[in-house]
Amino acid sequence: MSQHKKTIDFGFSEVPLEEKVKKVKGVFDSVADNYDVMNDVMSLGIHRLWKRHTIELSGIRPGNAVLDLAGGTGDLTKEFAKRVGKTGRVVLADINESMVRVGRDRLINQGIAGNVDYTITNAEALGFPDNTFDLATIAFGLRNVTNKDKALEELYRVLKPGGQLMVLEFSKVTQPLLAKAYDFYSFNILPKMGKLIADDEASYQYLAESIRMHPDQETLKQMMLDAGFDKADYLNMSEGIVALHRGWKY
Amino acid sequence: MILSQVFEFALNQAVRLDEQQGQVFQPLNDKVIALQLNDLNTTLYILFTDYGISVQNTLQGEADAKIETTLTDLLAFAQTGLLKHATYQTDEALAETFVNALGSVEIDWEEHLSHYTGDLIAFKIGHAARSMMQSKTAVKQQIGDTLKEYLQFELNALPTHSQVQRFGKQVLQTQKDVEALENRIDALSQQLSQQPASPSK
Repeated sequence: MSQHKKTIDFGFSEVPLEEKVKKVKGVFDSVADNYDVMNDVMSLGIHRLWKRHTIELSGIRPGNAVLDLAGGTGDLTKEFAKRVGKTGRVVLADINESMVRVGRDRLINQGIAGNVDYTITNAEALGFPDNTFDLATIAFGLRNVTNKDKALEELYRVLKPGGQLMVLEFSKVTQPLLAKAYDFYSFNILPKMGKLIADDEASYQYLAESIRMHPDQETLKQMMLDAGFDKADYLNMSEGIVALHRGWKY
Repeated sequence: MILSQVFEFALNQAVRLDEQQGQVFQPLNDKVIALQLNDLNTTLYILFTDYGISVQNTLQGEADAKIETTLTDLLAFAQTGLLKHATYQTDEALAETFVNALGSVEIDWEEHLSHYTGDLIAFKIGHAARSMMQSKTAVKQQIGDTLKEYLQFELNALPTHSQVQRFGKQVLQTQKDVEALENRIDALSQQLSQQPASPSK
């Protein structure tokens, strides 16, 4: 982490602290329209299983209030909205306007409306009162946040006592052979696929690099505890390609 | 996770194809039913909202009602409409509402088929299917009766119903007699043990 320096990682490069938000915005502006297709191609559809598992473990129920931070094109929001029903509420929040617009249109087209709010917000300064949500999720978004500690503190603040945070994010592969194959895929095949499908090699190169720069499982767990969470644990999925971290506020 | 997805798909399909579009599930809106399947040692939580039915493996807090049964009984329920072995807990009336709603789902396959094939072909397929089902039931009944008669009268291998009943009564009577005899022996043993030992000569 280089939170105390004037520069911060942007993939494998170092950029001025205030530049990262703009650069990440640029990446997601570029990929927004093809984001879902690319996710399917990149993960061979497995991202749907990771997300489904996250939803299953959330244990949400009708009437709950849910924050889907970095909600992007609304995969999780859609399922949460169906589960909390009209008596509940889901907020799809993302720093990127393009992603929120794609997500909003997609959900409305699928008949999800009335219990979903859309907002453009910075994870480091959430515009919600304290103790608002029963559940907060951030799926494949935390690694793009400039100040992750601050974001985790904010997420803790907006959770109700008894509430749960779920962080679904690429992590450190635990199986050495798979790790080598995964590296090869990420740096040689993924950017080429990005060029082929979205005509944007650089953005997908950044996605691969940002995954490697993201804190590993244990580090992120400790960061959650440091942010104030009373309990934290994690679950590796697909040999640690992705990890689901959960933190509870008591 | 797979089981919950299968349940979710099956329930929503049933509602979608139901003649009443799942109106019978309306009283369950915003409620959660826990379905404990003892043979699989798993619990599924069924959530009802305006968007449809969702199924998941975990739930924060308690479900509004709980049904304890087995997957085997549930599969039999899908065919017969009778959930034989099930216990209802917490809000028993709500659990019963769910089971009744599930049992009352009626799918008019002919109607749905007609959207793809037209009315005439759908009717003919439906008519053929109904005839086949009736024939199947009749054949099944006939085979059962023939086999029963053959075993009972031709081979004399199986007892008749009245013979079974008589045998059952005799077993009960024997059991009572044995118990009475056991009590009598116990009483005699006690009497013997209470008598003072006769002096040895």
